[in-house]
Amino acid sequence: MSDTAAAHEAPTSTGIDHKKLIMWLFLASDCMFFGTLISTHLLYRKLFPAGFTDAEGHQRFIQNLFNIELTSFSTFILLMSSFLMALAVSAMHKGQIKSFRRNVLGVIFFGLIFLGCQVYEFTHFYHEGLTIQNSVLGSTFYVLTGTHGTHVAIGVLWLIMMYFYSFTGKLGGHMGALDVEIAGLYWHFVDIVWIIIFTAVYLVEYLGPNGIWGTGLPAVAK
Amino acid sequence: MSHDSHHAPVACKTELAPERSDLGLIRPDRTTGLIDWLTTVDHKKIGILYGAFAMFYFLVGGVEALAIRTQLARPDNDFVTARMYNQLFTMHGTTMIFLGVMPLSAAFFNFLVPLQIGARDVAFPRLNAFSLWTFVFGAFVLNASWFFEFAHLAGWFNSFEWHKALVYTDFAPANGWFSYAPLSGTFGQNGQALRFTGVGTDFWIIGIQVLGIASLAASFNFICTIINMRAKGMTMMRLPVFTWMTLVTAVLIILAFPAITVALIELMFDRTFGANFFNPSAGGQPVLWQHLFWIFGHPEVYILVLPAMGIVSEVLPTFSGKSLFGYPIIVFSGAVIGFLGFAVWSHHMFTTGLGPVPTAAFSLLTMAIAVPTGVKIFNWLGTIWGGRIRFTPPMVLALGFIWMFMCGGFSGVMHSAAPADSQQQDSYFVIAHFHYVLLGGVLLGLMAGLYFWFPKIFGRMPNAPIAYIASGLVILGFNVAFGPMHYLGLAGQPRRTHTYHAGNGWEQWNYVATIGAYILGIGVALAFVNLVWTAFRGKKCSNDPWDGRTLEWSLPSPVPEYNFAQAPIVATRDAFFEDKHGSKRIGSEPDGGEAGVHMPSQSWMPLVASAGFLFIGFGMPMMAMHVPHAGWLVIGGLGVLFLGIWLWALEGPGGYMLKTPAASGTPVPTETAAH
Repeated sequence: MSDTAAAHEAPTSTGIDHKKLIMWLFLASDCMFFGTLISTHLLYRKLFPAGFTDAEGHQRFIQNLFNIELTSFSTFILLMSSFLMALAVSAMHKGQIKSFRRNVLGVIFFGLIFLGCQVYEFTHFYHEGLTIQNSVLGSTFYVLTGTHGTHVAIGVLWLIMMYFYSFTGKLGGHMGALDVEIAGLYWHFVDIVWIIIFTAVYLVEYLGPNGIWGTGLPAVAK
Repeated sequence: MSHDSHHAPVACKTELAPERSDLGLIRPDRTTGLIDWLTTVDHKKIGILYGAFAMFYFLVGGVEALAIRTQLARPDNDFVTARMYNQLFTMHGTTMIFLGVMPLSAAFFNFLVPLQIGARDVAFPRLNAFSLWTFVFGAFVLNASWFFEFAHLAGWFNSFEWHKALVYTDFAPANGWFSYAPLSGTFGQNGQALRFTGVGTDFWIIGIQVLGIASLAASFNFICTIINMRAKGMTMMRLPVFTWMTLVTAVLIILAFPAITVALIELMFDRTFGANFFNPSAGGQPVLWQHLFWIFGHPEVYILVLPAMGIVSEVLPTFSGKSLFGYPIIVFSGAVIGFLGFAVWSHHMFTTGLGPVPTAAFSLLTMAIAVPTGVKIFNWLGTIWGGRIRFTPPMVLALGFIWMFMCGGFSGVMHSAAPADSQQQDSYFVIAHFHYVLLGGVLLGLMAGLYFWFPKIFGRMPNAPIAYIASGLVILGFNVAFGPMHYLGLAGQPRRTHTYHAGNGWEQWNYVATIGAYILGIGVALAFVNLVWTAFRGKKCSNDPWDGRTLEWSLPSPVPEYNFAQAPIVATRDAFFEDKHGSKRIGSEPDGGEAGVHMPSQSWMPLVASAGFLFIGFGMPMMAMHVPHAGWLVIGGLGVLFLGIWLWALEGPGGYMLKTPAASGTPVPTETAAH
């Protein structure tokens, strides 16, 4: 199967497979996509540094909402999932399908932990009074991080399908390794975007006079 | 089971036993008829479909334009209501840009790029079909809003309870083609999401979103094709200029469309879920919409014009009998235009009060972008200088392009001066400017392309006298219609206003402009009738009627489904012209011999996946209107989309081996193949 498929693949002008090239192009486009979303969030943070007003009419700061330990944990988990993804790609290139399955299951598991943390975070913030409707901050925060979460969810779905597909015996050889590598490209990209979001949306809130490490704000809610 | 049986080459795919995909489903295998057109993955057929839909929407947009001009022919006219007028000019702009010019450019990309680079298809044939059908469904959703508007006008909705609660009843989009917030957005606190406009805006949002997906998918595909599927010897600097401009356009699309995608998502969240991105009552900044829109919108202008420039760069050398003057500079200028296109968006926003520094910077950059454009104009003039010019219909239109586009460029440079622009903003002067660029430039360029490549696409020659008359009418009518608008704009007539009172001194030239619009309409209709007639009944012509320069003219007309029986090896720019008249011949790679040429299988899956957008496209506006259970329609649509992609992934690429004339041992000389 894989031999016939490889035979049908004509050599390309650049030597890069079509599938890999188109994934790079998609990622270039996705950079602009997330760039626009992150810019929107940062613009509004600069315009309205004061945070938001919750349902009881209390002025709230976003730092009070954040549980930076939890988010750091989920960030670390996502980083480690990238590590496992790299192992899965490497295993596939060596034709070690069992090792590929183990590692990809790990990626899926870690991805699900990340998504679980995000679901928890969203519910928690919502109960604390930050909604998509009550402030610009809520709109930009939920849409930006939610879009990233959707990317992770699509990645998880993709890898689950790939995991089951590997049992049909059709995921093998050069083309199979290429397919896994492309899924890996996507996964690493989504991971890198999270590093930027984690920095731009979470960490920078702790800098400067408004941050809880500076002056003014109490470290816990209200 | 099917793989072995499909290794034997056949002369026609219908000779094969029904082929089963990896899922066990039977693949479609027609060569003609409806099923073939719905499931085709052949870039030439997809190109023809793009062209047919684009021409249809050109006529729709044209009718909308004539309704606008009829309304403005006399002062205080009541041909249409103000509300209808808003919908007309919004849909005119949206239709012409997204459903007329872009798909017609895409038709040329599809048909020509693989032929010009010596490839047998695009890199992803099924993705190409997906782009086409996604465009078709997006266009349908956008225009379906008209049916709701007409149903509302006919009173069909009056018995519904929810209809009585409607304040804004513009069912077709009515914000102008750039849908500025807050008019397109919401107001009110805590997710009230009160609107200024009706459900038309929601149709617009989802329609443009779906069309964006189609454009993005197509652009990924074409960049990949151009970079990766060039024939041996076809280096980047030997690419035909049209292919080069396709590449620049596709890069612009993949980098510019994400901005509008995000802006549309944000606006959709505002309107549907009560978010506050552009809601001024909650601190949202409507000017952010302007920035995001024009970060997309200005590159979009070059997305529209660069393909036409590419076409003109093919037509002029052919009919001047000379190679293109300054090929590297033309290519480089195109790339610079694309690059600078991202750095000038705020010249659409000089009156928003950006402050002196950004205003000066964007003024300067806008003036700078005139330089590569001017370079191109001079190179085209250099190309025809001293040539043996043949005034064929495509040549007449291409020369018209240079002249008219230059006029549009001059008024563009006037806009780059911020103080002048703040006087011209939102006046008919702006209308005159961009119609000279988009109609005098883009439409004439695309018509030149249609007349130039129709003999290749269908193997039939358009009737020349009718073509000359139509071209003359278009150029004449266009100037009569839009020339006076320069004056009207400077005399103060505002755009997007449904009528004007007598006594402002605008009556005479508005009347003239309307007459011009009708002449233009007759000219375009005549040209299209001529072309459609040609496609079915036109006089058959030889494979190379124009003494063409690039590889597509070396093929039989119409082009066989495998394009090149033997993959070409090129040694120079303008390879086919050199092959005929120069010393450097086109070589050919040894083909598979008896093995034949590998052809991709047809597939239903791109159509199935795209059909999901139909449900999403109707579900989202209904959700925004609070129609009960409309959310399920959206979820169902997403389900169809995922199902289509899933089956697409699992059915496998398939394919079969086709015997070519060369492979079957009876080589057919290209000169006589069509007869």
